[in-house]
Amino acid sequence: MISGVGNNCNNINFGGHFGNFASKARQSFYDLIKNRVVKEGGDRFYKFAGDKISSAEVRLILGCTALMTQPFIDFHNHKQDEETRKVSVCRTVAKIIAGMTTGFLVRKGTIKLIQACSKYPVEKFPKWRTIFTPKNISNMSERDLRNHQNDIGTWVALGVMLFTNFLIDAPLTKLLTNLFTSKVVKKPQDKEMRGVA
Amino acid sequence: MSIKIFAKLAEIYSKDPGRMLLHTGTIGWILSCAAQTIAIATNDKIDKKQKAYLIPQEIFDGLVNIVSFYVLTKSFKDIFLKLVSTGKLANKSIMKFLQKNNLTNKIGKMDFNIEKLANYSEIEPEYRAFKDGVGVVSSTIGSIISCNIVTPILRNKLANAPSRVLREEMDKMDKEKQNPVQSYNSYRSPMASYMNHAGGMKI
Repeated sequence: MISGVGNNCNNINFGGHFGNFASKARQSFYDLIKNRVVKEGGDRFYKFAGDKISSAEVRLILGCTALMTQPFIDFHNHKQDEETRKVSVCRTVAKIIAGMTTGFLVRKGTIKLIQACSKYPVEKFPKWRTIFTPKNISNMSERDLRNHQNDIGTWVALGVMLFTNFLIDAPLTKLLTNLFTSKVVKKPQDKEMRGVA
Repeated sequence: MSIKIFAKLAEIYSKDPGRMLLHTGTIGWILSCAAQTIAIATNDKIDKKQKAYLIPQEIFDGLVNIVSFYVLTKSFKDIFLKLVSTGKLANKSIMKFLQKNNLTNKIGKMDFNIEKLANYSEIEPEYRAFKDGVGVVSSTIGSIISCNIVTPILRNKLANAPSRVLREEMDKMDKEKQNPVQSYNSYRSPMASYMNHAGGMKI
């Protein structure tokens, strides 16, 4: 139920019974989760993740876990014939390897580049080493500066990947797919030979 | 100009690295999907009947990835960050801070937010280090579930139907090539032959 409508669209209030129900449902959901104080080890792990894991490492983690799941899911798609499933598995593995390698290297490379170009503006650094230095660097904590460098690095990586997706990723996937397929999928003449024998 | 754009984007996302991973991931999937679809279509070594499955599979991979990324990964991350901001998930320092300020009865209440407290600055460095870590870990786990488990299962199921239709069409076209059916025009005698058959009839 809409309890009240304001003078303009921004003031539409979906409160009332529905709003109460939604907030009660959310509260009930969170109440189901036990309060938890993480131990020293857990705390260190979370802080390590926040400090050290950038989008580059996330891409690597996603790629490695993808290799453990996706080929098996593709191979068990029984709505497709065996040959198609084999080609699909080869292409999936090729795509994961190509995507993970270029994704990690491009992201890591750009983040390193941004770190090199966002130095504290002192005399010993040439001007190009400060082109990505934030204006308020003197008020920034080490964590804020690191987040800033990771964020710019990730966005620059995205710009670079506009090109690498088409120039490296896709051709490398094609190359690896054909390589894996030639090893896994039997050619028609091989089948004929086997039939004759 | 472009440096300014990157700096502005960094400013927007610097307080929330998990959110940045979500947005850049989405754009990355769109670009990757476009490149891969072109690569399959232009790969001469893949049979066209296999392409009839692989191309829809790749397109659905991109689409399902984006939807599941937002529905699963974002929800997963938001739930965990809410647990941190309401104090339900905390480390020892944050819990000590809440106890010191007699706020333990507020833990887990939806309207309670540690970041809105008047003396938040006392715990800010410790809290932010913990929250950043929880954000990165939860969005990574959410991404693994959505991108590596949910997406491949759904994209395969969705790609099966169009691939079947495309193959049926291909089979039909192949049959037509092998046994061409003469069209109505080919049955019609040319005018000269008609005239021959017409004999001495005057038209």
